[in-house]
Amino acid sequence: MWTFIFRRLVYNVPVYLAILLFVMAALRVSDPVPGFLGKNASQEDYDAFRQKAGLDQPFLKQYVDFVKSIVTCDFSTESWDRTGATVQDRLTKCILPTLSLTVPALIITSIVSVTIGLISAYFRGGLIDRTLVFLAVLGMSVSFLVYIILGQYFGAYMLTRALGTPVFAIHGYRPGLENWPFYMLLPVMISVIVSMGYDTRFYRAAIVEETGQDYITTARAKGASGRKVLFVHVLRNALIPIITRIMITLPFLITGSVLLESYFGIPGMGNELISAINSKDFPIIQAFTAVFAGVFILSNILTDVCYAIVDPRVRLS
Amino acid sequence: MAATCVALVRRSPLTRKSALTQNSKRRDNQRPQPLSTNRWTSLFELLSVLADRAMHGRSGATLPTVVSHDSRFSVRVCVASLVAFFLCVGCEKGTNVSVVTVSTSDGQTITREPIVLSLPMRTDGPKSMDPVRGSTTYDNRACCQVYETLVEYRYLGPLELKPLLLAEMPEVVNHGTVYRFKLKEGVRFQDDPCFPGGRGRPLTSADVFYSWKRMADNDNSPKSWWLLKGAIKGFDSYREEQNAAETFDYDAEVAGMRIINDREFEVELNQPVYRFMYVLAMFQLSIVPREAVETYQERFGLHPVGTGPFQLRDESDWERANYLILHRNPDYHACHFPLKEEVPEALHGFCKEDSFGKRLPLADRVEISFFIQDQPMWLKFRSREVLYSQVPAESYPSAFIKRTGKLRDSYVAEGIVHHAVPLLDYIFFGFNMEDKLLGGDDDKNRYLRQAISLAIDWDERNAMFYNGNNIVYDGPIPPGLDGYPVNGRAPKNYRGPNIEKANELLAKAGYPGGKGLPEIDYYVSRGANNEEQTELLTRQLAKIHLAMNLHLVDFSTLINAITKKKAPMFSFAWGSDYPDGENNLALFYGPNRSPGSNHFNYQNPEFDDLYEQIRGMAPSPERTKIYQQMRDMVIEDVPAIGSMARTRNYVVNPQLRNFLPTENFYNWVKYLDLAE
Repeated sequence: MWTFIFRRLVYNVPVYLAILLFVMAALRVSDPVPGFLGKNASQEDYDAFRQKAGLDQPFLKQYVDFVKSIVTCDFSTESWDRTGATVQDRLTKCILPTLSLTVPALIITSIVSVTIGLISAYFRGGLIDRTLVFLAVLGMSVSFLVYIILGQYFGAYMLTRALGTPVFAIHGYRPGLENWPFYMLLPVMISVIVSMGYDTRFYRAAIVEETGQDYITTARAKGASGRKVLFVHVLRNALIPIITRIMITLPFLITGSVLLESYFGIPGMGNELISAINSKDFPIIQAFTAVFAGVFILSNILTDVCYAIVDPRVRLS
Repeated sequence: MAATCVALVRRSPLTRKSALTQNSKRRDNQRPQPLSTNRWTSLFELLSVLADRAMHGRSGATLPTVVSHDSRFSVRVCVASLVAFFLCVGCEKGTNVSVVTVSTSDGQTITREPIVLSLPMRTDGPKSMDPVRGSTTYDNRACCQVYETLVEYRYLGPLELKPLLLAEMPEVVNHGTVYRFKLKEGVRFQDDPCFPGGRGRPLTSADVFYSWKRMADNDNSPKSWWLLKGAIKGFDSYREEQNAAETFDYDAEVAGMRIINDREFEVELNQPVYRFMYVLAMFQLSIVPREAVETYQERFGLHPVGTGPFQLRDESDWERANYLILHRNPDYHACHFPLKEEVPEALHGFCKEDSFGKRLPLADRVEISFFIQDQPMWLKFRSREVLYSQVPAESYPSAFIKRTGKLRDSYVAEGIVHHAVPLLDYIFFGFNMEDKLLGGDDDKNRYLRQAISLAIDWDERNAMFYNGNNIVYDGPIPPGLDGYPVNGRAPKNYRGPNIEKANELLAKAGYPGGKGLPEIDYYVSRGANNEEQTELLTRQLAKIHLAMNLHLVDFSTLINAITKKKAPMFSFAWGSDYPDGENNLALFYGPNRSPGSNHFNYQNPEFDDLYEQIRGMAPSPERTKIYQQMRDMVIEDVPAIGSMARTRNYVVNPQLRNFLPTENFYNWVKYLDLAE
């Protein structure tokens, strides 16, 4: 197992280096300095800033320096946009609000969607199945933005007016478990509702596919009850697509949800990235892209490892 | 004798767990109930009990009966995991003070509930609270609560300057080139650990020059050096020398900066420039203490220390994309709300009766929430969690009767007040006067530009994209400033739509019916609704058979194309840096041509002579006449077509008093109070 992980890591090093090269080149196609300094800066100001930011150095040197900083996890480069704050300061400050939104959302979505997928598959072709599929398709057909706008309006504003006491915050974020339900539960619920449509359909399809396999017929022939077949045999074997789906989502846990964060005032990674892009905060964009690419590669490796754990047929050799 | 009263905290939305005193009462019954009494508290308590038991392995005898015995273990594990995860997120930071003790103007000390202002800011927050590094409106709004400039604009009165950190307005001698300043007595920097003993020290003349010199230091990445560029004698050469040297010497002499004593100093300009007074009111020239800059260095932008009415007590009181909490500066120098007789009678209704003549600031704490999206800001305004709001475009129909532009009755009945605030905006279509087709000062080219101007219907654009709220006017001087034409219409103008006259001029330009006229390259930034606005422009110009070649680009690319004189026709908006038409007329001053601010590359010796004349003139009827003359030259030569100024609609909840919105300056928070 460890050999496999090590080998995958080594294979992915050149891939990662190539991604970094591409990212750095792409970010430099259009000179970021004039965009950042604005309308009143002179050529002299541009040159001075370029020198200060190290952008006057040859590209290869910039690349080597950046790779070095990634390898040593040194993100002490100063943010252009918020002087005094390093890239590390800004990213670490945002990661917890983001995770307190995305992790519960992922956990709840996965549990609920798998459950509904199982129920749907169990009653396959029946009224319950059709109703659940209809609701899932309906859920998928509505834009995320609509859920947020309506969720915020009815779930926070109108509910507050109706009850005379705020149940959910319209906007804002405070850390701490005691504050979590007030500030985060509504965004999490919206996120769950949005994802449920897609996930339920996917999990239902995966589970239904398993129910047609020969070993399921065998289990039934041996006298296993319908529930036992579903929860013990089908679910275990349907774990591969479920894991794939969840693992694909993992890198996006750190990116957060730009829309949810911006509507609910959650100072998370999505907001931070958009803010950095808007203000041409070059070091943040560059570091964030590099970190995201790294997490993506790691999650791919983790997916393979999970496959091996849940399915003994997968041979790592 | 000290009078004491204990009352309920005037709770703000950002405040969640202050203790209520037993004899408390809610003053503002329209505000939602305190958040700490909401149902999540009991949920949290239940979770805490469950987690505690799960972690300590105690009996779950009192678990809710709906939880079966078999499932208890898994419940405990789940709860413990959740608790463990969320405890990692951190603990709530308390920001509450249940009562405050303040000194009254008659020397008494009273204890009362704090006055907390919950204000919105339509952004993810300021980028920096170091004035030198700031440039945006939002940087300005945050900085000028903590820092102060030598002069400020008069609130609740005519838009004119008055002393702030000065004892009196500066004495101007030597034909307007020498300014003598005297600092106000009793001004101290806010208490901060950077000072010996943590006690803020008095402001001195050296602080003023130190703060200005920071503008010259490239290491500070100053964004506004252009404000002082070429103004003060010897300052430009000082900047060059010091930036070239190994270390920037703030103690080196500048010929035009002379300290007379701790409270008096003198500044000598290269030439008389009246705008210097406006520049002194800009937040970038706020006065900062050297100790704080040297102590906090790069983090100074996150740890402001000024002389202003409010202070940032802790860096954690400012969280990007979330909030900024400022507290009253207990040592704020003697600064008072205007007396009743100083405030125009029409504005008395906005003011709380007992505010007149009262010492500032009136509020104890200011909690600014940052809104990236408009809907939450609007909903928080409607639920009275923020005291005022700009009206987002999508909420305009629900708040206003479109036909009359008046606030709907339901809003009026709630006591909400509407203010329409015209901005110092100059939205234009510009031409590169060095372009072979569109530029040039011969008659043929001028006729072509005039024809284009006559084909454009500004009113249609205003109605279509701005609900008809903007102010359409002729020339480059925005509403409210000297030189602005009466009712926005200049005596001679080329405002469209007048297709007949446009065709006539097009024929005179040598393009009858648009024949022989090549496509015009038009550059504009993408984003907002610029694409739709460009569609409208294309349709309007098609009426005189003029075809456009559109370049929708990023703003930086647009500026780059204009600076390099590659854009024959372009559009963007100029917001005045200070309320003087001179700022806008400078856009057409020959020596400012690209890469300077004269993006039109307009050159007219007569105009340039007049500009040099008005540059050193104080406001007067004579100066206004010259402004009008220069405005008419621009209208006649058409280096730019326009213009239009946006109007910002503000609505104010009845709890907020003394608020007359303006976007010309932002240090008015110190004047704000809450209704009884």
